[in-house]
Amino acid sequence: MKRCLNCLYTVATVNGRLQAWRPKAEFFCQTKIPKNVQEAERVGFLSRFVRLVDGLNDWIGRGVAWLVIPMVVITFLVATLRYGFAVGWVSMQESYMWLYGIIFMIGAGYTLLHEGHVRVDVFYRPASPRYKAWVDLFGSVFLLLPVITMVVIYSYPYVMTSWHRLEGSHETGGLPGLFLYKTVILIFCTLMFIQGMSLAARSILVLAGHREFEIKEEEHEGV
Amino acid sequence: MSGEILSLVMFAVACGVLLLGFPVAFSLAGTGLAFALLGDALGVFDMPLLGSLPSRYFGVMTNELYVAIPLFIFMGVMLERARIAEKLLTTMGMLFGTMRAGLGISVVIVGMLLAASTGIVGATVVTMGLLSLPAMQKAGYNPRLSTGIICASGTLGQIIPPSIVLVLLGDILQGAYAEAQRALGNWAPEPISVMDLFAGAFIPGLLLVGLYICWIIIQAFIDPKAAPALVTDKRPEGLWGEVLRALLPPALLIVAVLGSILTGIATPTESAAFGSIGAMVLAALYRRLSWDVLRYVVRQTVQVSAMVFVILLGASVFSLVFRGLGGDHLVEELLHNLPGGVFSAMLVVMLLMFIMGFFLDFIEIVFVVIPIVGPILLKMDIDPVWLGVMIAINLQTSFLTPPFGFALFYLRGVAPAAIKTWDIYRGIVPFVLIQLLGLCLVGAFPFLATWLPGVLF
Amino acid sequence: QEVREWRMVTTWPKNFPGLGTGANLLAEYINKASNGRMNVTVFGAGEIVPAFEAIDAVGNGTVEMGHGAPYYWKGKVDATQYIAAMPFGLNAQEQNAWFQWGGGQELADKVYSELNCKFFPSGNTGTQMGGWFNKEMNTIDDYKGLKMRIPGLGGEVVKAAGGNVVNLPGGEIPPALQSGAIDATEWVGPYNDLAFGLYKSAKFYYYPGWHEPATVLDNFINLDAWNSLPDDLKAIVEQANRAVNQMVLSEFTARNNQALQTLRDKHNVDVRPFSDDILTNLGALSGTVLRDLVASNPLSQEVFESLIAFRTQSIGWSKFSESAFAQARILPFKY
Ligand code: NA
Ligand code: NA
Repeated sequence: MKRCLNCLYTVATVNGRLQAWRPKAEFFCQTKIPKNVQEAERVGFLSRFVRLVDGLNDWIGRGVAWLVIPMVVITFLVATLRYGFAVGWVSMQESYMWLYGIIFMIGAGYTLLHEGHVRVDVFYRPASPRYKAWVDLFGSVFLLLPVITMVVIYSYPYVMTSWHRLEGSHETGGLPGLFLYKTVILIFCTLMFIQGMSLAARSILVLAGHREFEIKEEEHEGV
Repeated sequence: MSGEILSLVMFAVACGVLLLGFPVAFSLAGTGLAFALLGDALGVFDMPLLGSLPSRYFGVMTNELYVAIPLFIFMGVMLERARIAEKLLTTMGMLFGTMRAGLGISVVIVGMLLAASTGIVGATVVTMGLLSLPAMQKAGYNPRLSTGIICASGTLGQIIPPSIVLVLLGDILQGAYAEAQRALGNWAPEPISVMDLFAGAFIPGLLLVGLYICWIIIQAFIDPKAAPALVTDKRPEGLWGEVLRALLPPALLIVAVLGSILTGIATPTESAAFGSIGAMVLAALYRRLSWDVLRYVVRQTVQVSAMVFVILLGASVFSLVFRGLGGDHLVEELLHNLPGGVFSAMLVVMLLMFIMGFFLDFIEIVFVVIPIVGPILLKMDIDPVWLGVMIAINLQTSFLTPPFGFALFYLRGVAPAAIKTWDIYRGIVPFVLIQLLGLCLVGAFPFLATWLPGVLF
Repeated sequence: QEVREWRMVTTWPKNFPGLGTGANLLAEYINKASNGRMNVTVFGAGEIVPAFEAIDAVGNGTVEMGHGAPYYWKGKVDATQYIAAMPFGLNAQEQNAWFQWGGGQELADKVYSELNCKFFPSGNTGTQMGGWFNKEMNTIDDYKGLKMRIPGLGGEVVKAAGGNVVNLPGGEIPPALQSGAIDATEWVGPYNDLAFGLYKSAKFYYYPGWHEPATVLDNFINLDAWNSLPDDLKAIVEQANRAVNQMVLSEFTARNNQALQTLRDKHNVDVRPFSDDILTNLGALSGTVLRDLVASNPLSQEVFESLIAFRTQSIGWSKFSESAFAQARILPFKY
């Protein structure tokens, strides 16, 4: 069995035939499927869904990660310009705040994909893959998805009101498009919702015996 | 009344759900939602109250103070990639290693220096575990002592400012304190800020460093084999120059970050930005700044920040429902009716947090427990800086308490197989006791926490 | 008997001096006068929603009513900031006259209907102070490069004068002033400024508060909730607001008197007037800046024109009444 560590691309022999899986589509992964290997037929709807969603959130998360650099630089500039040159703009202060919000809200789905959200793993960590899959299935269906649904129900009118008014900053000289920033809440919900569905689908696949969908521990910094 | 009982049941159920192992944020929020629906059906909860959620989320997204958190994370991960800790550890080891207990002490000092420049627990423990654990093993250190030293020193970043715990605590205590004082009829309470907390935690942090070092020396005297000197008794040529060169970068960062905060030149957020740029410059000077490193650092920053803030979002559902059911009144009555007043209320809360620390991460404790007990304690006219520092020491300890101590996990992840998990768990016990001793000292002598902010501001 | 359980969110920390007590009084009056048919519970900023979100929580029915200051909603409906206060605009007495006899209430209701709310003036700070400065302010040129925390329309004027307007969270203001991160900040008046401890971080306390000659506080009620009230309860809410409007202004007047004395006698604060040069220039700038700002927004323009018309009349009369008397009373005679 061969495996690409980057994207979990797997080549294995099933029923005497070489087959390949790509549970996480990595847009940038260079691993090619060898000519004599067929992409697995039994990779059905669920795994295609997992692959699509994981790929999307991964791509978005990697993109949004680069916003950290302007956030650092703008915050630095705001302070330096004020002390050094006595100039400053409220809109500039708000722009690093927007970046901060965008980073953690839009990066939340990406973080779920990469197992970045803390679990109380007294029992979870040493448990079997099947236990983990059951917990993740239960958790996605009865905890995560309902919560996100509720947040959407309450946020949608909230964000729409803001659009209706084309709401701007309440600060003098602030950024005008506050309604755009508020919309980030709905984007957060969308990305978390599909990632939650992907987690549920992944758990079903594991319970059905597709070991390649088991969640691997990743290096994680913590705070 | 039935709502209040329901709120307690919810708390118990949440603990059970958390133990299953699903991500904390959704375990808390999901339990909260379930009890909101239940409370609504029983007529003791108002569903429209949940309509405040988007506003609350937006409040988090526009909290200027919280911007410091991703910045400190960025800085910490960048420093780790710049291998500044590595350089410090090797030179400090060479400097002190030839003395008995010297290697252990140098690990504590490196932990302290890293803590004062930023202090990401994971990065610090992993780096020190990778570098100094083998060195201590080679020198013949007792594995329990050496793992204990690394874990404890690695968590100093949470108590020695700048610290994410203190930023979060500062924000919560600020409002709670003003509210409590006004309830007491004091119309002009001194405002407290994150900087007050930073200044307040400084001396208690150094106190802990001192206690760790004392313990290592005591060990070395009781049992010379536990912390022996390195076999090579010669220091290499030009060592002092090396030491200076290793010390300079973290020293500069500490001055830039802590100096700018404690003198009030910069807000915590701005000083975190200074530190982040500083860390990048240092990484560039060390020729470690590449696209690969930058990519790694920004991705880690996203993941860790999202983790912190999504717990905050989840916890806010939970606490909103808890409040809506009237749970806060129940806790208030409970704490107010304790015999012995302030002392026993403080003791109960500290004990509660210590016990929760065995199972929960500090962020959950900050977001779930402090908003409930903070205002109640502060209404007993407790010094807010002192309370904040006590809580911070307690939370720092939660990184060290098995079974769910992050520092222990991180070290387990990088420790060689020869070190048994049991060694790590046994080794941390004296350090947890030291933490409790530190907590008692600050508890008994509040000026340890309140003196410096009084002088500075 | 049906009991209407209402929640009131506020933009103030719970029990905040002067501002927050208005909300508490309002709830108390309504609850008592309705003889238990209404029960209003007050929540501080952040308890249910953050301060700047209070009006949305009311508009969308999360809660029934709220208490704050109109300029907090300027990002949502621009005209609200003119209702709150205008640089070199009306004083408290004139503002109330405008609401009750100058068509102000109708205009404000029109503005607030955009937020799905009913509006009541519900408190007033009276004339504020110019702010705390660490630089001496002698001519308008001293505003060039001045780093000042001053939100709202006053901030626009300071910016036009060449100042550098900074936005800081409340708790960070004293240390920022202390360290020179900012040169100046405005806050409210002596009562709140004393409580905030600003005298510890600044050298000079300038007057008058040209940027907020008086600031209106607002009580906003979800329109559906308001319309569901029978006429007698409507009257109770209306009268409660009139009483609170007066009580808050009186509280500010009484406490400012004492607080200014404490600041001068106990804390030796250097209280200084803005020079005529500064006030003349800021006054002229205010007119230009405000006219520019309202030009693009018909509703704001409507409110502004109405206020300006009332302002012209008020100046005409005040010159011979309040202003003249205030000048007379401080002539150097023994009393
Ligand atoms: Na630290
Ligand atoms: Na623990």
